[in-house]
Amino acid sequence: MAEHDLSFDAMGSHVRLLIGEPGPGMAPAAAAAEQARRFVVEFDAALSRFKPESELCALNADPRRDVPASELLRTAVKAGLRAAAQSGGLVDPTLVGEIESAGYVASRAGVPGEPLAVALAGAPPRRPARPNPASRWHEIAVDDEAGTISRPPGVRFDSGGTGKGLAADLIAASLRGYSRFVVDCGGDIRIGGANALAWPYEVFVEHPLSGERAFVLKLGTGAVATSGLNVRIWRDADGRFAHHLLDPASGEPAWTGLIGVTALGDTAVEAETFAKAALLSGPEGARAVLAERGGLVVHDGGRVESVGPLSAKPRIRIPAAPPTGAAA
Amino acid sequence: MTRRRPSPRAVVWGSIALFAVLLALLTHQLSASQPPAPRPVLVRTVIKRKVVTTYVPTPGRSTVSTSGSAAPLPAEAAPITTGAS
Repeated sequence: MAEHDLSFDAMGSHVRLLIGEPGPGMAPAAAAAEQARRFVVEFDAALSRFKPESELCALNADPRRDVPASELLRTAVKAGLRAAAQSGGLVDPTLVGEIESAGYVASRAGVPGEPLAVALAGAPPRRPARPNPASRWHEIAVDDEAGTISRPPGVRFDSGGTGKGLAADLIAASLRGYSRFVVDCGGDIRIGGANALAWPYEVFVEHPLSGERAFVLKLGTGAVATSGLNVRIWRDADGRFAHHLLDPASGEPAWTGLIGVTALGDTAVEAETFAKAALLSGPEGARAVLAERGGLVVHDGGRVESVGPLSAKPRIRIPAAPPTGAAA
Repeated sequence: MTRRRPSPRAVVWGSIALFAVLLALLTHQLSASQPPAPRPVLVRTVIKRKVVTTYVPTPGRSTVSTSGSAAPLPAEAAPITTGAS
């Protein structure tokens, strides 16, 4: 069972592709992986808010209400709007000014963060985040026929909440027909392929405090994503600890009593949305968010709690049949 | 009254004659008998249920890295891990 394994850095994180045997008439796994790598580079160049030449930055700076946009940017904006709607506004894609005010104005890839345990000790009292009823993400619209994005000038869009998941989903769509595959865009993971159903992958969930394996999932299809505070913590201009998951109601970093959430979903965007919404909702709200699809929450003190179907999911499966070659 | 013992020659010839008679009788009986009717054969289907527990390899261990053709393959590739990024 040979699989092509390609890893590289992009989108401010680590990307990994595992691609199995091609179906009839499909490109070899190595060629598919290289094509996917090029796509991720283009995706990052177009949608990064840290690159002034990106199409996203051009959109955010454009004074017009209706702005011509590429299919990729329109797809990214639609994904962000779906996440906002699905989360009731908790995953808000318009908090660009707020995240910059918190001190996140440039990529923090490779920048060592403050220790999470220290930040937790100095963080404000815990409370669930809330949506901002005055948020203007409702006013953003995508017109695929006209090829435009409409929004009130000055309302800026950030693809950061769903970008890596979207990249994983788009690559996964191009890998249908391979025996099995994994697309891992910075922990937002999409799994597929006919053989993966019988031969699922093991996915380790990293504990945000210790970095050790907190849980092992077996996934044959679908997606899993993790949202957590442990990677990007810094001190703002006032010396307070800050991170990138904001409470839309206050525009400030959210300290909800949870430090990490892993969620399952049909797509990586969906899983990422569940994970972020659950973390922002705090312990009680997270159980509700994850009840249907399942997930894992890590409390401030480090306690790991499995929620929903995941808590009852069998840890060992007997495959129905071994893989017999490339899938159609 | 004394009884005459048969001579050895008469005993030998008598035994041979008796053997020949019995042999002829058995041969005739064997050739005259019908072959036995074929017995019906009962075929039974035996289903054996076998549960095979197969070790599912960690994907990293079943992968082949071809990113560097000149470099040796890693002994063990990294596992798939989800975490905040």
